Amino acid sequence: MRLMDWLDERLAIRQLIKVMLTEYYVPKNINFLWSFGVLVMLVFAILVVSGIFLLMYYKPDSHLAFDSVNKTIMMDVEYGWLFRHTHAVGASIMFLVLFIHMARGIYYGSFKAPREIVWITGYILFVLMSATAFTGYLLPWGQMSYWAAQTITTLFEKIPFIGPDLVVWIRGNYIVEDATLTRFFALHVVFLPLLLIVFTAIHLYAVRIPGSNNEDGIELTKEEKKHGKGIPFWPVFMAKEFFVMSVFLIFFFYLVFYQYKFAMDPINFTPADYLQTPMHIYPEWYFLAFYEVLRGFFFSQNLGLIAFVLSMFIAAFLPWLDTSPIVSGKNRPIYKILFWIFIADFVFLTILGKLPPTGLYAWLGFAGSLVYFAFFLALPILSKIEKKKVAGGR
Amino acid sequence: MKELKILLILIVLVAIGYWGIEPYAHSVMHGEVKHPDFKYSDIQTTASTTGDPAKGKELFMANCASCHGLKNDGINPGMDKNAAIASFNVVPPDLSNIASIVDHKFLAAFIKNPQEATKNPKFAMPPMAQLSDEDVGHIIAYLSSVAKKDLTGKEITVEACGRCHGVKYQKIQAETPADNLKAYLGKVPPDLSVMGKAKELEYLETFINNPQNGLPGTSMPRLGLTQEATEKVVKYLDEIADPHREQRNKLGVWVLGYLVVMAGLTYAWKKKIWKNLH
Repeated sequence: MRLMDWLDERLAIRQLIKVMLTEYYVPKNINFLWSFGVLVMLVFAILVVSGIFLLMYYKPDSHLAFDSVNKTIMMDVEYGWLFRHTHAVGASIMFLVLFIHMARGIYYGSFKAPREIVWITGYILFVLMSATAFTGYLLPWGQMSYWAAQTITTLFEKIPFIGPDLVVWIRGNYIVEDATLTRFFALHVVFLPLLLIVFTAIHLYAVRIPGSNNEDGIELTKEEKKHGKGIPFWPVFMAKEFFVMSVFLIFFFYLVFYQYKFAMDPINFTPADYLQTPMHIYPEWYFLAFYEVLRGFFFSQNLGLIAFVLSMFIAAFLPWLDTSPIVSGKNRPIYKILFWIFIADFVFLTILGKLPPTGLYAWLGFAGSLVYFAFFLALPILSKIEKKKVAGGR
Repeated sequence: MKELKILLILIVLVAIGYWGIEPYAHSVMHGEVKHPDFKYSDIQTTASTTGDPAKGKELFMANCASCHGLKNDGINPGMDKNAAIASFNVVPPDLSNIASIVDHKFLAAFIKNPQEATKNPKFAMPPMAQLSDEDVGHIIAYLSSVAKKDLTGKEITVEACGRCHGVKYQKIQAETPADNLKAYLGKVPPDLSVMGKAKELEYLETFINNPQNGLPGTSMPRLGLTQEATEKVVKYLDEIADPHREQRNKLGVWVLGYLVVMAGLTYAWKKKIWKNLH
């Protein structure tokens, strides 16, 4: 332990361990959904490691990119296929884990005071992660990569006054081309991951101050948690987290080895061709719901675009949309119903997002988009009702 | 118990979502993939598919050898490769093994009318109207007598596809230069290196059997491959697109086994730590 003493004199390391781990208490009344934060970290670590290995062989050049991925990495490099499949499945599963992590926060009211900063930094992380996924998707330079980038960058054209110039500025060319690939590469491998790490640190620091929320939404002081109502983060809660991580990894690597196809669209095994648009253009599954909101307002592109931007960002304002004094969804019967309608709608929009936007599907998409926003718009009204109930109940 | 209930909800939601974006969406997007027809039942021909190989060779020398070579029998084409490219924008195939690759009924109809059999009005070979039904039979008998049996998937792919398609990752170049192919077909045919991943294998069988059933309007001619040849080509394309399948399946067992052990250990550790909680 002399090393510890030595470090303690210089870095106050014992104090740090206390604050971050051994005397950071987690409430007892929480379930394994609170482990999804750690799963996000785990998947992020997997992505960084597999990404670095891919980086050693990937060539960010529109003439070389496709072959460097599909030939060099997939066929020539020892276990290159493993890195690529891990990275592709990791990217996909990252969003599954993120969605569950966020939905848990919405259900149990983890965004409410005093945890707004935790919620907002978390939301910034979600947006950064989306940007990382989008920029990374272009890199293999397949047909779907190319046309997804072409479609999404085209959206910026709709911005008044600066739109058309902005699109050219983002692409570095009139169409998505080599310049676009190299800048997306820079963003994907350095800029965005760095921001992700910084905001992860802030996010983790922010949650240390008020501590985790719990199933019942009851505020617990540190003293209460220390004496009976909580457990130390290390080693007690982490012991459970390691088990959750192990089970998750079984599922994850089962996908990597035996079910990776859901994360690799077959269309992307055709090299990018700017003269030939694929029959169906759709993003990866995790953007389908937002994509469907964009298409949902099929009678007006401008409305669709506004709705799309709103759908991506509206959840960030939850702490101000839902001002009800009751924290946990467990104790809010109406909120519970709204929440499950919202979740079902999200899955519904995701499925619709991959189907051709014609006839009945177009109208269903429109209805689904309205339901999506209805959830958020109903919250201020519900908050008023619940405030009255709480005040009258005293 | 409560946690298992939550897990069950997650599994159900993920399963519904997965079903919607994978099997269901694909069935809506691609509809029913038509089945391949290896009998070529749409082809009605009076031409014979049997005859006398010796007569067939004479007929071949008189009617075919000006453009086509036959290496197995030491016959060189009358026209060199570059002259052929200049006149047709495509290299005429060497016919050594054609009888082992192409369905004989299709071949007979093709010799009589290439444009109709291939469903490609711009097909480069002219109809052989001067040949009688019996003549066609003799030629096919001759081709059968010289053709190599038991060709590998790779050999068939090179012979049946290699004049227009390259397989870059296997170092196979398309025999015809890209510019000429563009002039002949309207676009450069795609490379086949990872075609086994880009398309479903059932689709590839249907497509090779009749390109119009897969991609209506495509300029790829129908080739009339036999069922055996088609299956060998598709199997070959599948293997070269995913060369590490065996290694992946083997390694997966070890990784998952290791993780199961780890889950057991972490569960035991969690039990030990949580035993003292009240």
